[in-house]
Amino acid sequence: MDYILHILVMVALFAILATSFNLLIGYSGLFALSHAAFFGIGAYATAILAVKLGLPFPLPLLMGLAITALAGIVIALPALRISGDYLVIVSLALQVIVVAVMLNWTGLTGGTDGIRGIPRIEIFGARLDTAAKFLPLALIVAALCYWVGWRVGASPFGRALKAMRENEAAAQAVGKNIVAMKLAVFAIAAALASVAGSLYAQYVTFISADSFTLELTIYVLAMVILGGTGNLAGSLVGAALLVVLPELLKFVDLPPDIADKLRQLFYGALLIVMLRLRPQGLLPESASAHHYLAPPERPQVDRPVAAAVLEGRGLEKRFGGIVAVSKLDLALAPGRITGLIGPNGAGKTTAFNLLTGFIEPDAGEVAYRGRRLKGLKPHRIVRLGIARSFQDLKLFTRLTLLENVLVALPRQRGDHLAYVYFTPWAVAREERGNLGRAMAILEFVGLQRRAAEPAADLSYAEEKLLAMARLVATDAEVLLFDEPLSGLAPNTLREVQPIFRRLADSGRTLAIIEHNLDVIRELCDTAVFLDEGRKLAQGTPERLMRDPVLAERYFK
Amino acid sequence: MRKLLLAIAALPLALVLGFAAAVSAQSAAGDPKVYKIGAILAMSGQASWYGTVMSQGIKQAVDEINAKGGVNGIPLEAVIDDHKSGNAQEGVSAMNRLLSIHGAKIVLTSFSAPTQAIAPLADQNQVLLLNGGGVSNNLVGASKYIFHNRSLAGDLGRAAAQHAQSLGAKRMAVLHWKNDAGDNIVRAVQPMWEKGGGSIVAVEAVPQGATNMDTQIAKVRASNPDIVALWMFAPEVGIAVKRLRELGMKQPLIGVEYTANDAKIAGEHGEGYLFINDYFQPSAEFPWSQQFAQGYEKRYGAKPEFYAANYYEAVYVVAELLKRARSQGGDYVNGEALKKALYSNPKFDSVYGGQMVFQPNGVAFKRVGLFKVEGGQGKFQKYIEVK
Amino acid sequence: MDLVLQLLVNGLVNGSHYALLGLSFGLIFGTTRITHFAYGPLYALSAYACWWAVAKLGLPLIAGFAAGIAAGAAAGVLSYALLYRPFERAGSPPLVILIASLGLFIVVENAIGIVFGTDTKVVPSPPASLFLLGPTAVTSVQLAQVGALAAIALGLWLFLSRTRFGRAVRAQTDNPEMATIVGIDTVRLSMLVFALGSAIAAVPACLILVKDGATAYMGFLAVFMGFVAVVVGGIGSLRGAVAGGYALGLVESLGLWKIPSEWQSTIAFVVLFLVLLFRPQGLFAGRQ
Repeated sequence: MDYILHILVMVALFAILATSFNLLIGYSGLFALSHAAFFGIGAYATAILAVKLGLPFPLPLLMGLAITALAGIVIALPALRISGDYLVIVSLALQVIVVAVMLNWTGLTGGTDGIRGIPRIEIFGARLDTAAKFLPLALIVAALCYWVGWRVGASPFGRALKAMRENEAAAQAVGKNIVAMKLAVFAIAAALASVAGSLYAQYVTFISADSFTLELTIYVLAMVILGGTGNLAGSLVGAALLVVLPELLKFVDLPPDIADKLRQLFYGALLIVMLRLRPQGLLPESASAHHYLAPPERPQVDRPVAAAVLEGRGLEKRFGGIVAVSKLDLALAPGRITGLIGPNGAGKTTAFNLLTGFIEPDAGEVAYRGRRLKGLKPHRIVRLGIARSFQDLKLFTRLTLLENVLVALPRQRGDHLAYVYFTPWAVAREERGNLGRAMAILEFVGLQRRAAEPAADLSYAEEKLLAMARLVATDAEVLLFDEPLSGLAPNTLREVQPIFRRLADSGRTLAIIEHNLDVIRELCDTAVFLDEGRKLAQGTPERLMRDPVLAERYFK
Repeated sequence: MRKLLLAIAALPLALVLGFAAAVSAQSAAGDPKVYKIGAILAMSGQASWYGTVMSQGIKQAVDEINAKGGVNGIPLEAVIDDHKSGNAQEGVSAMNRLLSIHGAKIVLTSFSAPTQAIAPLADQNQVLLLNGGGVSNNLVGASKYIFHNRSLAGDLGRAAAQHAQSLGAKRMAVLHWKNDAGDNIVRAVQPMWEKGGGSIVAVEAVPQGATNMDTQIAKVRASNPDIVALWMFAPEVGIAVKRLRELGMKQPLIGVEYTANDAKIAGEHGEGYLFINDYFQPSAEFPWSQQFAQGYEKRYGAKPEFYAANYYEAVYVVAELLKRARSQGGDYVNGEALKKALYSNPKFDSVYGGQMVFQPNGVAFKRVGLFKVEGGQGKFQKYIEVK
Repeated sequence: MDLVLQLLVNGLVNGSHYALLGLSFGLIFGTTRITHFAYGPLYALSAYACWWAVAKLGLPLIAGFAAGIAAGAAAGVLSYALLYRPFERAGSPPLVILIASLGLFIVVENAIGIVFGTDTKVVPSPPASLFLLGPTAVTSVQLAQVGALAAIALGLWLFLSRTRFGRAVRAQTDNPEMATIVGIDTVRLSMLVFALGSAIAAVPACLILVKDGATAYMGFLAVFMGFVAVVVGGIGSLRGAVAGGYALGLVESLGLWKIPSEWQSTIAFVVLFLVLLFRPQGLFAGRQ
């Protein structure tokens, strides 16, 4: 029955669109409304190449894919600076511009006439000119596209995308190059959408700009969200449901003049009902790693390392008229825990930001192992061995504890898509080893029993422990803790404090920002007192606390 | 929980299977008990006004013919489907439905994109296509089996431009729909206008569905034309006329359409608006036109648009073709046989009055008239021969 | 030069319209964080209520506006109470609420088409008188659009800065968690905001009814423009919404001075995109 086969072809095409859109919106949190434009660029590229140059399948598809991937990168570039709701406008701009070009560049695209007579795909001499003949190709290509998307989602790269979605700063702080990641996911999503466009063009054999408008993007968005963001199988379900449902509604007999409007109305109502029943989407977000798959080996977390001195020399930073940090000299030594103390707004967190590349100093320099860290992005600095935690934790709340730690482990092959696609076995082997490492780290802080739970479900104390675990997981030799113990009850403190000592004893360089004087006294070998951006004193905690001037400013 | 998820994931599969069952139960391909006439119209979405009036014309014709015993004693059945205001994919889905489920071999189509998208299916399955809506050049010959009972948009435009020349206008400003119909008219008119010694002082595009044309109109106004041409269709033409007059432009306005919807929008600003149209004017001179108009008004409480008349007329053409083709015997309900029946005598009675003649290119030659809006309605002025 | 002046005037007029859309949409979006996509058809519904009062019941235009505002406010509150609130209670992520809003959009838009038909609705009104300011022409309706923005913006500013409710609205816009902590009933406040935002939206809707006529589908463009105005202006900043609206109106108009009108939407978006490139948080730094 040709009608059903045609519907299945449309389901296949929309499945490709929905899964690729899910990678952007669901996995990466990049709310870009330009998907119909990518679909259209693929369709037009294929149509033009097939009609004007007579190129046989699959050349137009592959070339269209490359062109659209480039378009994806073009729109990704401004996305690097803009996020969330504002990215919507940028992507809308691309959507509008692409359609306007389709309508007006008559020489290339046929303008408002569109392009017709697009040749059918011929494979081994067979012309795919009916739905029945086209369906197998559509299904195979859809399966391939799904596999491509699935490899992204299920890999460490996919996990890193989700981490980026949860919190960009924290993702950078665990060594992820979010710029590269954004470019990559845009390119892939755009390329997959163009594959669907290419098939569409050679199936319907006529294309015009009004098939590629914002309305289509919204339709695909509904599929992704209904199916469940962050779950690619959900996108398949969403695509199937939202293509089949309107067609099924046509079997309901209604007076013709209002029939189609009534059907649309039912469709809208059903959308609401389905979402009411499953407010998170039909299929939940799947975890990328499971603790029960970890090997029994637990590598030592606090194994000895050869750290070095992290130095800040003459650091200056102004924000508008406010001096955050001024003439700051800081030297953090290995094997020691250095405390940074001082009133609020003294510049302690700013100092951390300067040392780890989150902010550029107006003057002065930062050096590690004799190497100047000028202009290095935070993720690079993490890879060099210097990592920090955040005062407000910035946990990856929708990821499990295990994933939070896993994503922070360094030097993962799985972060690079080339390895994910071409040496999947090596990535899998490394992942197994990393599972063991991650579990070891969770045991180090005492959270191993909650490994499979989302970070959002943790108590306050457990959250602080997870933040520490994530920092330790980076395997950095220099660890900068920003108020790691604030708000913890005394018995928890007693359990947790030894962790710092163990890390320092392994040779690592530690620095802690803290307000709790008992903690400073017990943990820190040396303390630096900051106020109004200036270092006022440095010495053992006892000496500092006996100083009358400092006492006046702070200790009272 | 997993079981629930599996159940939900299996839902689409269940839907498809249930679908297939429903579909096979309805299969009625080639059933001579009823003549199925499919129609793919704008039944929802921004342009659904067109679908409303077109489908009303179709239903009236079907009911009238069936009341007289049908064609060859066999009743007609209209199956109206939706392309959601011009979406090509929806058109293809609708065509598939009509073919597979209803076995329709005759389809009334509308709008450029869906028509071009279904043309290959029509060719493959020998389906007769009849288009009574706007005709841009792209639709002529789009399928082996496509016919049009409305004048080419380009011809309407050139007729309007001709009349504008006769008024002595030299500087023409143009406001047009940004789609293939609008672009066609612009391309058709420009050379003849310039050959006649005139100049086109402004060409401003308006997207279909736009209500805000202020910028375009400001530029038209600033170009100081002798006449403003509106190469656009309902309802934008009503808005354009209103806006041009409100802003104080006194130049003659000429265009290619003015429906009751446009008249409503433009109100009294529409007075004096000139337009070229297929000459549909119910009058006692042409009894069929009057009978149709009265019947339409009784059924729907409004005066018929010429769009309704075209699709009403198309059903009667189909009835005539079925009659002719049956006498040839064999499997006659398909595009090939019906096309042969059409060209055996390309003259058909037109609800407009008199007869229309289908040209070799598939477009029915109808008389085109110049109308002027008086008292809120278009009053026929004279026939125009398109040179 | 004359053309530029006319384009400027057009830009200000349309900018006022977009600013009203931005204000009303932005009030709802900024305070409740709900992407109220269904704003579009509810806006159309207000216009239809006005039309019904004037064309069917024969009431004067001012009563029509009142009917439109009342209908809009009621529809807005109902949409929050019956659709959004249950999703909020279920802890749905914002994207799910967006698609639920899309569902409501489809339902209301088609309901209007079914109940009222697909033709354009117009109200009999005295012909818009033309005012000539030098070489530029502007109609009385266009002046009304500008006047409406001025009056509503002033009224809204007074409301937000002088009344208790207004201060609560600002608090919730800035920091919803804090608002709950200090004891603001966020649910009641959200209903108020929906009512107020939808009521304000009814004014440009009725003005468009007078100017162009109303169709069931007039809502999509309205919500689209309102959203763009808000984002460009800075989410959470009502000053920004007005600025964004004017930016849109002016760019749409002046941007086409020497460029063919085919590129109208392109120019508008390119400029807006450049604005965001240099000020990623919007014209008036809204919330991040």
